[in-house]
Amino acid sequence: MNTVLDIKNITKKYSNGVQALSDVSFCINEGEFVVIIGPSGSGKSTLLRSINKLIEISSGNIYIDGEDISKKRSKSLRLLRRKIGMIFQHYNLIYRLSVIQNVMYGRLGYMSNIKGVLGRYTEEDKLKAIELLKEIDLGDYIYNRAADLSGGQKQRVGIARAIMQQPKILLCDEPIASLDPSTSKIIMDLIYNMARSRNIACIVNLHQINVALKYATRIIGLSKGKIVFDGKPDQLDNATIEKIYNTSMQNLIISGELNEA
Amino acid sequence: MKHKRSIINKKEKKVYTYFLVVVAVLFIGSTIFSKYNPFEILLEQGEFWRFLTVDFFPPTLQNSLNIFESILITIEMAIGATFISGILALFFAMFGSEYISPVPKLSKVIRAIATFLRNIPALVWAFILFSALGIGTGVGFVALVISTFAFMTRAFIEVIDDISHDAIEGLSVVGSTFWQRVFQGVIPSCMQDFLAWFLYCIEVNIRASTIVGMVGGGGVGLVLFSYLKSFKYQTAAGIILIIAATIILVDLLTGYLRKKVLL
Repeated sequence: MNTVLDIKNITKKYSNGVQALSDVSFCINEGEFVVIIGPSGSGKSTLLRSINKLIEISSGNIYIDGEDISKKRSKSLRLLRRKIGMIFQHYNLIYRLSVIQNVMYGRLGYMSNIKGVLGRYTEEDKLKAIELLKEIDLGDYIYNRAADLSGGQKQRVGIARAIMQQPKILLCDEPIASLDPSTSKIIMDLIYNMARSRNIACIVNLHQINVALKYATRIIGLSKGKIVFDGKPDQLDNATIEKIYNTSMQNLIISGELNEA
Repeated sequence: MKHKRSIINKKEKKVYTYFLVVVAVLFIGSTIFSKYNPFEILLEQGEFWRFLTVDFFPPTLQNSLNIFESILITIEMAIGATFISGILALFFAMFGSEYISPVPKLSKVIRAIATFLRNIPALVWAFILFSALGIGTGVGFVALVISTFAFMTRAFIEVIDDISHDAIEGLSVVGSTFWQRVFQGVIPSCMQDFLAWFLYCIEVNIRASTIVGMVGGGGVGLVLFSYLKSFKYQTAAGIILIIAATIILVDLLTGYLRKKVLL
């Protein structure tokens, strides 16, 4: 198994004094589907955003495919970022533009500056994008404006954009937090299948423990910037959950229990 | 006496009362200081109306071909200056917006310069440049460019700062370059607002170029000024009417286009 992400003793202290991460370390191998859970403010987003250097860490090292991203700047940072796809809670699309234009953006990192500026994508890439859009049932929406899509459709465009990067790692920052339950399932299935079929290591921030249990091959529990749990989903017991969320089970909504009733 | 209940917040009432007092004091004070009684204008209206109705009437046009040509020059100055300013402003705004600028420190400098330049009206720039470089259409043009450029840079920076930062972040993570983000993300997201500001500046500059023309920038302003100076008031009145008509037409047109653009 190849290690694609190696995080070593990273800390992050914001300029306002908030200690978001303290001494976090873990490794992720090819094909793993890791879900990070933890209460708001526990550092989930900070952790995810440090991996592609949207946030600069205070100390420690993050190795992407063997290369330390915390040392990278400008061009070499861009080249390394191509290997890291990201899916956002708010989709982060250019809403004035068409679905396919947004998907093609996944190729920008592979193009020369001027070709990217002019949007001169190769025919091969365009065909690939169209195939991908058909695969995720957006074949009829290729020329629609991204603004006119539903939430679930927007997120699918976001996923397609990330996949176009041919990433080694997929970061998903609360991908279903703004979606209804049925759309959430479609999106989680899609992320899971895309990552699995392409052997992409996936890290997903989630608030829903039942969703985490369903998809994850491994769960990391974060509390106050520290890893308090790192293991297989079946190892996650009530005591650990209470520890992660720093409260007792009766104060938590964990909808998985509905099925048992 | 029955006590009347106030429905206005006591604090607010106080503020408004003080405000009224201050305005009244300022008015009386400045009237005494400048020894000019604004009410005189009401008493001296006879002369004013005589001037308007006798000297200015009927508005006529001599040499109308010349005048229309000068109007064309004024319009050209306005559109040309807006166009050049727009391109310059677009470039500088990309570096002036703190969020997308590749050199965030530069953004404060650009903002400061634009704010400074913007606060000096085009007319003042015209006077400064005329004393330095002499009068002429070219110099008037530069005066318009300076003030429009500064205004547009500020406006464009605000447009860029207003768009969703999420969208640009989505482009950053794929490994795009700064110029790719600008052309693929910022410009498509902001184009409508940029165009709306551009049209607004054309509107403003038609007026400004007339005035800059009067003090030496050429165009219809200068023609009007020369007729006024040579006491040919009737022709001057004709020119004023034509200027007004032109400005109204341009306003209507740009207003219509702005609505279309912002849809």
